[in-house]
Amino acid sequence: MKRLDSLLPPERVSLFEEDTLCYSFDATGIEERPMAVARPISTDEVSTIMSYAYERDIPIVPRGAGTGMSGGSVPLNNSIVLSFERMNNLIDIDASNLIAVVEPGVINGHFQRDLEALELFYPPDPASMDFCTLGGNVAENAGGPRALKYGVTRDYVLGLEIVMPDGKIALIGTKTQKGVVGYDLTRLVVGSEGTLAAITKIFLRLLPMPRAVITLLAVFDSVDASARAVSKIIASSIIPRTLEFMDRESIKAVEAFKPTGLPTTAEAVLLIEVDGSPKAIKEDTDRIASICIAHKADIQVADEPSARQRLWEARRAISPALYRISPTKINEDIVVPRSKIPEMLAYLRRLSEDLNIRIVNFGHAGDGNIHVNIMTDRENAEEFKRAGDARRKIFEAALKFGGTISGEHGVGITKAPFIPMEMHPASLGMMKAIKRLFDPKGLMNPGKIFEG
Amino acid sequence: MAVKGILEAIARFIEKEHILSCKEDLICYSSDATYHNAMPDVVVIPEEKREIIQVLRFANSERIPVTPRGAGTGLSGGALPVRGGIVLATTRLNRIIDIDESNLYAVVEPGVITASLHSEVEQRGLFYPPDPSSLRVCTIGGNLGHSAGGPRGLKYGITRNYVMGLEVVLPQGKIINTGARTVKSVSGYDLTRLMTGSEGTLGVITKALLRLIPKPEASMTFMAFFDSISLAADAVVGIIKKGILPTSLEFMDGTTIKAIIQYKSIELPEDADAALLIEVDGFESEVKRQAALLMDVLHGSGARGIHSAKDKTEMEDMWNARRMALPALSRIRPSTILEDATVPRHQVPIMVRAIQGLSIKYDIPIGIFGHAGDGNLHPTILTDVHDKDEMEKVDKVIEEIFEIALSLGGTLTGEHGIGVSKARFLKKEIGEEGIRLMRAIRNIFDPNGIMNPGKIC
Ligand SMILES: Cc1cc2nc3c(=O)[nH]c(=O)nc-3n(C[C@H](O)[C@H](O)[C@H](O)COP(=O)(O)OP(=O)(O)OC[C@H]3O[C@@H](n4cnc5c(N)ncnc54)[C@H](O)[C@@H]3O)c2cc1C
Ligand SMILES: Cc1cc2nc3c(=O)[nH]c(=O)nc-3n(C[C@H](O)[C@H](O)[C@H](O)COP(=O)(O)OP(=O)(O)OC[C@H]3O[C@@H](n4cnc5c(N)ncnc54)[C@H](O)[C@@H]3O)c2cc1C
Repeated sequence: MKRLDSLLPPERVSLFEEDTLCYSFDATGIEERPMAVARPISTDEVSTIMSYAYERDIPIVPRGAGTGMSGGSVPLNNSIVLSFERMNNLIDIDASNLIAVVEPGVINGHFQRDLEALELFYPPDPASMDFCTLGGNVAENAGGPRALKYGVTRDYVLGLEIVMPDGKIALIGTKTQKGVVGYDLTRLVVGSEGTLAAITKIFLRLLPMPRAVITLLAVFDSVDASARAVSKIIASSIIPRTLEFMDRESIKAVEAFKPTGLPTTAEAVLLIEVDGSPKAIKEDTDRIASICIAHKADIQVADEPSARQRLWEARRAISPALYRISPTKINEDIVVPRSKIPEMLAYLRRLSEDLNIRIVNFGHAGDGNIHVNIMTDRENAEEFKRAGDARRKIFEAALKFGGTISGEHGVGITKAPFIPMEMHPASLGMMKAIKRLFDPKGLMNPGKIFEG
Repeated sequence: MAVKGILEAIARFIEKEHILSCKEDLICYSSDATYHNAMPDVVVIPEEKREIIQVLRFANSERIPVTPRGAGTGLSGGALPVRGGIVLATTRLNRIIDIDESNLYAVVEPGVITASLHSEVEQRGLFYPPDPSSLRVCTIGGNLGHSAGGPRGLKYGITRNYVMGLEVVLPQGKIINTGARTVKSVSGYDLTRLMTGSEGTLGVITKALLRLIPKPEASMTFMAFFDSISLAADAVVGIIKKGILPTSLEFMDGTTIKAIIQYKSIELPEDADAALLIEVDGFESEVKRQAALLMDVLHGSGARGIHSAKDKTEMEDMWNARRMALPALSRIRPSTILEDATVPRHQVPIMVRAIQGLSIKYDIPIGIFGHAGDGNLHPTILTDVHDKDEMEKVDKVIEEIFEIALSLGGTLTGEHGIGVSKARFLKKEIGEEGIRLMRAIRNIFDPNGIMNPGKIC
């Protein structure tokens, strides 16, 4: 029998524990050891590994940078991790067609920088952009702060090269701005979390670079006022590119971790960005500022890159700060219709008091996407159970408001048990049938999205 | 099952006046905007979701084909009942259920005419971008069926980009709700977009949740004429390179310009080889800046006769000229066959020249217009479908157009869908594996093969 480690040169495939250890977890902290790790450099190598695994019924787990928040790249079931770290070539940036062709291992942030030099723009900007890969972004349909104005990864993927579980290579979608050729297989693979096929090449739509950006930080003394300001801004026909929200608990956490000068008595902070031509965004900023002031906010405005960065510091520090508060953080990613944000936040506050558990909220207020963080300790069985109850209640509330339990982080392992809460059995049945169709042997990232 | 039996069964759950079966009535549902025809056995015009569920359950158990139909303006034969059976017309499902101004979405039934949704939302200062040129007639259901585009697609994207969720009745009569009342949602596979563009082959869409955006404050429209297609194409690339993303960047060739002049004596320069219709929108100040940049590019690119619309009437006139392209061309010969090849933007001049070459080679007039900004061209073959010899040549022309489009890195269809017209070319573009997957997906939703059989794959 041919051995796995003879398929690729030794530096690109390994069965050794010291190598596989690094590929056994993602940002959720869930951990499981893979059987092997392969780091192919080409589509053909991906195909070789996958057909090998297919013949032997070995599960495959595609992996980008492992920054996923729902366990998507954690290798359950003694699988082979297919890491795309070495397929990180930027194949083409075509400025006249506004199209880029990339390999999946390209880091989002590197891509953004290369485009900036050419005055081009790729909007999706997950907060993890300095580490996460474009392949991981496509597989999770990642969003980010700019999604409010510009949409999510799905809106920028034109076509994909994929490798099917049996090793066959297929091209789906188009290299043109438009295309409606049969069923939209492209968007079926976007957001499929590595459960249908491996993505080996990505055709992305680009935009011209916005000419200028202004950032505005508004500090409110009531959550309700901040939520009303959000509604008012949108109602006045302004779509900022970013409208980020932090609640009192996240402000406190950040100031304790790395003081940025926010008043710890503040109840809510909005971080707002507008982009476009300098004159137009000046007008937008003035309008936004007066709305915020009318809602009793203190505001700071910056248009220079370094000053803008300073306003972002607090928002960027939240994730690391939260890891300091308590041993375990359960990170949720619900979305509610924008107008329901005040009700949802009020509900979360009551829930936190009722269950006596700390809940920290921040997120993308503009599109109703709230990252709800339940702060707990896995070792404290009694509290951890209350945290579990809180989770279910939070999902129920989001769904009751017409929202969803997963806005941008995917389902992975952590949300799989809750999918039936949101999904009709008929829809779920369709999804499972689609899964079987792409992956009849059930080898692609098993245990993700669907339970059992 | 004999027609009589179908009628009797259906009459049990749909009022008689909403069931059509006499020949005169059926003929009205036997064509669309292509030159193909196919007679249904029965037409039903339901008003309630419940009725649709019953029709589908019945048709599914008896294995009778069901073809959903909006306004029948499709250009790929999607709404034609090629295997007979039941045409399910959505005409009476035409309610705008909700326009939510704070969450920026609309909930509509599939039979709503695209233009009426536009005017309803625009009255509220909101905007629904997809604008197929047929917008005064076509329906939202049909737009979803084909993921229709339109001139504004360049800046704003196509129907697919504005669907947040759908209610769909599956062939077995089960209802699924896809998506959410939020723009973001990644719970499981993207059934919303799988349905969008599926041309009525997976189920009947009974409700759509559509994303709205604020209405742009201002817009400006320009028209420019050129002595050669390459000059026009250079201008297109020049505009994008300047960092301007116009709302629309429409192209017409000399044949189309002449046809429009003859049809409606609109004042256009008769000897021009190409025209561009360009619109920019946004905040007032931004529009002015873009307009100035645009003028620079146009002057520098050797355009002659650059016009900017002074008021709303002039703007409408320019757009009317553009919307006249297809009707005007269709006057010239008994039949028109309109294609929808799409190529990367910089390949537009090569594509246009290649099509002109085919026109000469086969001695068949072809007018070309389309959405140059996104590389989506509509070569329009002027012919006579009853002339068998000529139609053989037309088939060759179509085949060559597709081959050239694919060889330039393009696609068979940018916005009109596969339908019946392009089904035989599909494999060329998506390969064996693509076809296999699509057939199997279809089979999952519709194991008995009753939904719009004969389309796509
Ligand atoms: C601090 C922090 C902030 C974050 N902020 C955001 C945010 O603002 N918005 C947001 O949307 N997400 C955010 N995330 C989540 C995460 O970064 C994204 O989901 C990201 O897209 C994952 O990319 P990755 O390269 O790390 O993928 P991984 O975690 O390695 O994998 C994610 C999933 O994609 C699959 N996959 C990866 N590559 C491929 C491929 N080539 N083919 C097929 N499947 C593949 C994996 O199997 C897995 O299911 C954040 C994470 C952290 C830690
Ligand atoms: C002059 C002219 C200009 C045009 N310009 C454009 C343009 O600029 N851009 C563009 O994209 N198209 C254009 N078209 C093509 C056509 O108008 C569009 O494809 C439109 O979306 C069709 O809508 P309809 O209501 O007429 O649908 P129909 O032709 O009735 O149906 C189209 C498809 O959708 C399916 N369908 C309809 N309703 C439902 C439903 N409720 N559930 C499931 N499936 C359904 C049908 O089965 C069929 O497959 C043009 C056509 C003409 C005649």
